Amino acid sequence: MNHIALFMSCILSILLAGSACQKIVDISLPDHHQPQLFVEGILYVGEAPLLYLSRSASFFSDKVTPQEVFVRNATVILTVNGMNTIMEMDSTFDKFRCRWVPFYTADMIIEKDQTYQLLIEADGQTLTGETSTALKPVTLSDVEYTPEFFDVFGGHDGVIIRFHDNPGEGDYYRFQMDRWIDTSRYHAHALDGLINTCVEEDELFFVTDIGRSIFSDYAIDGAFFELYLEVSFEYEEGDTATIYMQTLDENAAAFYSDMDKQLESILNPFVEPAFLHSTVQGGLGVFGSAIRSSAVQFIYPQDNP
Amino acid sequence: MSNIPFYRILRPFLMLTLIFSACYCQAQQSSIYGTIRDAANGESLIGATIAVPAHQTGVTTNHYGFYSLSLPQWDTLVMVISYLGYEPQVKKIYSAEKTLVDIHLIPSGTDLELVEVTADKVDDRNVTQTQMGVLDVPLKLVKELPAILGEADVMKVIQLLPGVQSGNEGTTGFHVRGGNADQNLVQLDEATVYNPNHLFGLLSTFNTAAINNVTLIKGGFPVQYGGRLSSILDISMKEGNDRQFKGDGGIGLISSRLTLEGPIIKEKASYILSARRTYLDVILKPFLPRKINTNYHFYDLNAKVNYRLGQNDRLFASFFKGSDLLNYEQAGIFYKINFGNTTGTLRWNHIFGDKLFANTSLIYNDYDYSIEARQNSVQSNVISGIRDLTAKMEFNYYPHYRHQVKFGGMVTHHTLRSEGNARFNPGTQTTPERPIQDIPKKRFTEAALYLDDDIRLSQQVSLSGGVRLPFYSSDSARYTRIEPRLGIKWQMADRTSVKAAYTLMNQFIHLIPGSAASIPYDIWAPSSKRTLPQTSQQVSLGVFHNLKDNNYEMSLEIYYKDMENQVLFKEGNQLAQSLDIDPLLTYGKGWSYGAELFIQKNTGKLTGWVSYTLSRTDQRFGELNFGQTFPYRYDKRHNLSVTGSYAFNQKWSFASTFVFTSGAAFTVPTGRISAQEGASLFEGNYFIYEERNNVRMPAYHRLDVSAIYKKQRSLFGQVYDSEWVFSLYNLYSRQNPYFIYFQVDVNTDQPQAKQVSLLPIIPSVSYNFKF
Repeated sequence: MNHIALFMSCILSILLAGSACQKIVDISLPDHHQPQLFVEGILYVGEAPLLYLSRSASFFSDKVTPQEVFVRNATVILTVNGMNTIMEMDSTFDKFRCRWVPFYTADMIIEKDQTYQLLIEADGQTLTGETSTALKPVTLSDVEYTPEFFDVFGGHDGVIIRFHDNPGEGDYYRFQMDRWIDTSRYHAHALDGLINTCVEEDELFFVTDIGRSIFSDYAIDGAFFELYLEVSFEYEEGDTATIYMQTLDENAAAFYSDMDKQLESILNPFVEPAFLHSTVQGGLGVFGSAIRSSAVQFIYPQDNP
Repeated sequence: MSNIPFYRILRPFLMLTLIFSACYCQAQQSSIYGTIRDAANGESLIGATIAVPAHQTGVTTNHYGFYSLSLPQWDTLVMVISYLGYEPQVKKIYSAEKTLVDIHLIPSGTDLELVEVTADKVDDRNVTQTQMGVLDVPLKLVKELPAILGEADVMKVIQLLPGVQSGNEGTTGFHVRGGNADQNLVQLDEATVYNPNHLFGLLSTFNTAAINNVTLIKGGFPVQYGGRLSSILDISMKEGNDRQFKGDGGIGLISSRLTLEGPIIKEKASYILSARRTYLDVILKPFLPRKINTNYHFYDLNAKVNYRLGQNDRLFASFFKGSDLLNYEQAGIFYKINFGNTTGTLRWNHIFGDKLFANTSLIYNDYDYSIEARQNSVQSNVISGIRDLTAKMEFNYYPHYRHQVKFGGMVTHHTLRSEGNARFNPGTQTTPERPIQDIPKKRFTEAALYLDDDIRLSQQVSLSGGVRLPFYSSDSARYTRIEPRLGIKWQMADRTSVKAAYTLMNQFIHLIPGSAASIPYDIWAPSSKRTLPQTSQQVSLGVFHNLKDNNYEMSLEIYYKDMENQVLFKEGNQLAQSLDIDPLLTYGKGWSYGAELFIQKNTGKLTGWVSYTLSRTDQRFGELNFGQTFPYRYDKRHNLSVTGSYAFNQKWSFASTFVFTSGAAFTVPTGRISAQEGASLFEGNYFIYEERNNVRMPAYHRLDVSAIYKKQRSLFGQVYDSEWVFSLYNLYSRQNPYFIYFQVDVNTDQPQAKQVSLLPIIPSVSYNFKF
């Protein structure tokens, strides 16, 4: 419907001599937002656990970088089969955004078909959650490039991924593409225009592109999926990428679906606002799990259009 | 309210009817009855007043121009007949058991010969009638007030009345006393018009040239109306001039119209035919890039014929069709939107005698829309519509000058069809599209019986007491309800009265609130076991006072309305995603209260009104806003409208409208969180919402002005009236909010609120003619 709304705006604008306009306005918010703990912990099978713990900022605050909102010195405990592991603070440098990203991690590997419990104590609050890694990865049948496709959000370029859904209803999937890029590969959407001051020209750095949509096999169990997927970074002919489909547990799927609904409502003033619903107890956020499909190496056959 | 066996309800109802009939059958009375019509064109005058000063009583014509007055026997009786915009008349009647008096009123300002005696009394119905919450829209003023693109529009004027909130800027949607837009019953010649919009709400489907009468009822609902909670907008088409052939046309910036009317058999049968079409498709073409192909256009057509079979019978047949069609094509994208209403009414008026009038109607209405959207890998279609067949019969019985009894019944059979699908890769899809005739239909029936007596208890006190018994039946649910309707008037002085009313209303069909952009994405859903009928109870109290021989009308009404079983979408939903509606909905309640001040000047060189509403509307839904109370989206606390038209001389007149409303409520997040595993297409910050509708948009205000230049001209030896209408919408180009959205600067992380405004100053000119 975005296009219809946009089209109507165009019609009305032309009709009214190109007069529709917009301006920045001040909004007085009710001044009672109390910072809340926000946890984001997705356990990837076969990898060390990584958990982001932050505090929410008031809406018009510009202090929202991962460093500024990170909750330090929290007690974060991951439990599996009765064994407790205390997660420690660590960080990595995001060379695309030029900023440090702190997180909690532990010296352990997430195993398949296990149940993990999470306990966080910080700011006098206790957050708990539980997730199972009983997830089935899929095997990608085929990955193809598409220079142009259209969906309800407009025209895009990207990739087509084909695979068979695992038997048994209740599978959730999302797209992942890993790449090494330099600063000439701009972001294709919201972060276009971001000024990068931390890497040299031609210096390659690693980015992970995670898809916005969560695909479900509800009512189409076992179907052959053919998904047209928009990519987040520009490319040139010969650029390489590694492509996966993530299989998500129900917690992760629900939370990232909420986030996608919210993105849609943020972008489209004609959609009811979407509140985020937590999948952890005692605070806001998600504690879930994921497993990646087999990797497919992909080479872009042309420059982005 | 629990279900009640229908026969149990019917039994006391029939007994009451018999009692009423028996009460006055032997009283010694004489009666006067007949119709009141326009002397120039024979149109029935609805709501004209017949006063009998000697008996300190009176009556008004019904919806079909009929009146009847029974009084104790007399020798000579003087009646004063008045109607706004017409010269009052005084008639002297000599005694007879039954006297038929058809009256023809002369429009003010015409040079027809005066009939009998004129009087200085003008319409005082607002004070004298028992009913409250009723507003007649002065059509003359509608044509004079400034309008967007010069298109006079009755729906825009309704938004200027007390208790009525406008929807989005520039659109014809309206909200009455805290109700949703679907809680307004919009009827054209008794046929429901489900979507009264053209141009996605910028204009209404009602061609002012074809309209005879417009009445808005927002409280104290008469028993013959039901099925909606908040208002009745009752529009009657003109009947057609039964004396001479007349034409009326207009050429505007985006559309033109032509109305022709005349006698088929002089003073016995007449017709009216009115058509309007836009030429937007032609105008837009030069402005659009070549790669865009579009042909947006709309049209509407009104037609009506009537025939007097004799003194006591009259037949009417009316037809309306309005349609909007949009095709839009750009490389890889194709949209086709088509929506429209068709209505037809067959009506038979019969006068059984001096005291009983009957109207029998057969009504057909059909609302259809379809949207087809194709973008290479995605195709979506929505086809929906609602078709009604209605039979109704209504009686007006005038047994005594102290009583006016109304009773009748109606039954409507609804057929609702809707189907939507959205699919990826239509080329690989093997399921064929379903032909329209194979789309599953939902059928349901609404019926009602009603009875009301408007009783004059004393010179000062009148009481209107009635009951409506609606009945609903579908495959999945059956509901029977009782709707008491009570009104009381205390005539404190000749020109002052106090009134109170209580009404209970039910609504069995729901418009699921979709896009706020007035995109015609209307999904009507019938009540089911899960989606219960909406119910409202409203109490209102008002003081009515007229000044200077009724030239100034004043009223102050206060009301409280409680609404149950209200319907909203769950969070994050938009309609395009599914047509399986029930699981997307959430249910709650709403309540509204307020005060409405209305001061109107009806006569003289300067006419117009001042309307001010102070109101508050809240809602509570278990699944929204964490179960807490939140303001209704169109809860606009202050609402002021000032309109005026000034006839400067024979040639020039000027009009102006000023509107001020508090900002509508909308939802703004209070906090932000930073996510690392979310979609990489976005900047990674998400919103925390704590309250729904927690912030107000900036206030809305604008000033519109217009000037009309009238002149008589001649063409081929024929004299005709012409007028140029110059108007400026939003004179000081106020950037009123259409919607507000948020954008975050990716380098500074600073969110900004951006307001989109749609309608700045818009000049327009149109040319009208009459012959």
